[in-house]
Amino acid sequence: MPDPIAAARAAGRTLLTEVESKDLLGAAGIAVTPARLARNGAEAARVAAEIGYPVVLKVISGDIAHKSDVGGVELNLANGAAVKAAYARIVASANQAAPTAKIDGVSVHPMAKPGTEVIIGLTTDPQFGPVMMFGLGGIMVEVLKDVAFRIVPLEPRDAAQIVREIRGFPVLEGVRGQPPSDIAALERMILQVSSFAEQHPEIAELDLNPVFAYASGALAVDARVVLAAPN
Amino acid sequence: MPVDRARLHRALNPRTVVVVGDKGPTYNWLENQREYTGNLYSVQVDPNEIAEIEKRGFTNFLSMNDVPGDVDLVICAVPRQVAPRIVADAIARKAGGMVLFTAGFAETGEEFGAQLQERVVQLATADGMPIVGPNCMGIHNARLGVKFTDNQPVVPDGNVSYIAQSGTHGASLSGISPLHGIKVTRTVSIGNAVILNEADYLEYLRDDPDTQYIGMYLEGVKDGERFFRVLREVTKTKPVVIWKGGQNEAGARATRSHTASLATPQALWDGMMRQAGAIPVNTLDELLDVMSCLVHTPRHVGRRVALMAMTGGQSVAISDAFGRANLTVPPLSDRSYEQLGEFFNIIGGSYRNPFDMAGTIGFAGAEENFQRILDILAADDNLDAAVYEFSAGFFLRQWKADPDRLTRLLDSLESYRARTGQPLILVLHPAHIEAELVPIKAQLAARSFAVYPSFDRAAQALAKVTTYYETLRARGV
Repeated sequence: MPDPIAAARAAGRTLLTEVESKDLLGAAGIAVTPARLARNGAEAARVAAEIGYPVVLKVISGDIAHKSDVGGVELNLANGAAVKAAYARIVASANQAAPTAKIDGVSVHPMAKPGTEVIIGLTTDPQFGPVMMFGLGGIMVEVLKDVAFRIVPLEPRDAAQIVREIRGFPVLEGVRGQPPSDIAALERMILQVSSFAEQHPEIAELDLNPVFAYASGALAVDARVVLAAPN
Repeated sequence: MPVDRARLHRALNPRTVVVVGDKGPTYNWLENQREYTGNLYSVQVDPNEIAEIEKRGFTNFLSMNDVPGDVDLVICAVPRQVAPRIVADAIARKAGGMVLFTAGFAETGEEFGAQLQERVVQLATADGMPIVGPNCMGIHNARLGVKFTDNQPVVPDGNVSYIAQSGTHGASLSGISPLHGIKVTRTVSIGNAVILNEADYLEYLRDDPDTQYIGMYLEGVKDGERFFRVLREVTKTKPVVIWKGGQNEAGARATRSHTASLATPQALWDGMMRQAGAIPVNTLDELLDVMSCLVHTPRHVGRRVALMAMTGGQSVAISDAFGRANLTVPPLSDRSYEQLGEFFNIIGGSYRNPFDMAGTIGFAGAEENFQRILDILAADDNLDAAVYEFSAGFFLRQWKADPDRLTRLLDSLESYRARTGQPLILVLHPAHIEAELVPIKAQLAARSFAVYPSFDRAAQALAKVTTYYETLRARGV
């Protein structure tokens, strides 16, 4: 695997593609859905057949940070014809929404089974340096700002606390007949991201959003890594 | 350049203080040092000011060069454009350090102020002279009588130190502490903290044998990563209570113009403080409440409290307050209930925990009954702490008629505290005659009791201190 950070630097980019981000994180032992690049519809269908249906396609562009905002994500594609049609729609829609963006193709991912959505993030605070954030996905983080923070590096005690500190924690314990989420797996992933961030001080931001928490295990289905601006 | 610790120690514990540029009508900087035990000199060139300074009994020199002996601390109160020259003079005299009271630097947001600050920073860092400030009130050393406001206490045996990014809050914390029986060692108002920053002060206090407890008011930190590392280490041996100011957008706007501090989300500060094992508070009152509980109660674990209220309504209110604070109000042991049942008046009263005691300790046999209650609670294994509603409203008339009765009550409470080794905190509500409470509060402070004006404040303080000690245990300390 080529070093995605070196590749991005060489190309003058700070935003890693999702394929690059997941390659990096996967190599660090963090549970991510695998992502493979496809540069046209036919290639996307070939890759999808190898991965196994159903699949997800997401636009790949160093110029597009929020893929769903430009119609760049298609879920639950069941066969080759659907993949090819989705590829065409994604390229057309992204070209229309972001005419200046250079589109490299799409990433193809297995369609993960749904779980409780959480967010694990890393940002760089002007006072405290690299800090980690944890929250429930969707409306809880966007509207209610229900997130907790810890400074990198985290110890196991910190990971246990950051998960339990959010107001929405009871959701992870299981509500309305839902089984409880695998909180230990979330804590493990948080600690993995913390040590990953320690080993890569050149990373300014990292988002695993969403991470699906299951009754057993947890899986990041989207990942975004941003490098610090070069000195 | 790292801080010269020996010089900082001289500045914070000066044998000679030189005040530069103090002026009338009040000459606060010189007058504040009336109780200072070291050598105090003035440097002032204005003949009109010199006359008055000398009339007040202070020795004035025209230049810092003329001051005899070593200069440990320079308090600089000159206009901002003169400040760099005074910094240079202090450096030439090899002064221990300087308090730069002068304001009008980076906090103004003006180019001129920022340039002046840069000039001061360059001079000080090139030489290694520690500077407190600028834009600060500086140093209070309670042992030596160095003050930055005249209502700060002089204390021979303090063990609490305050770091405040606000002179007013520093003055309030140190000035109010004696009312709570909190013994202050030193207070530093740190201002813009451009040369010495928060982590430097915290490191100094970590190694200061006269500091066992630390209280901080902060609006931001200059080197957050180092501050966090130092804080996490200090909290293992000395509790650190932090009041972070500027918690919302308007507050953050205020901190920018007050001390040029950067905004960091409050949720991040909360996480950082918890991760570092500090005790977060939101107000001046809360800082003092927690400090009072820290200094007046032993290290403890466990959340089960006995609540001794006087009346039925208060027994409900006290239980609500301690429940809100995540403390538990357990049933007592069967043996305790058996013994209490032998004498406790349950007509209009209850001993189930919470206690509603007026019918039992308010009238005939009162003192004996209260002693029996304390003895029973002291032997009960279901308890980790106790709270007593120190009901002055109820007892004032009796205490006035027989002052020894108050003394005997305090003796019993002290003996309970000594026997159990557990926290015993008191609630003394405002009474209808506030003046009557003043001497009582002084007695409670002198006997090292943590006293609160409401159940809620008592509960929150005890809960925060308990959480601190629980965290220490979880950290293996």
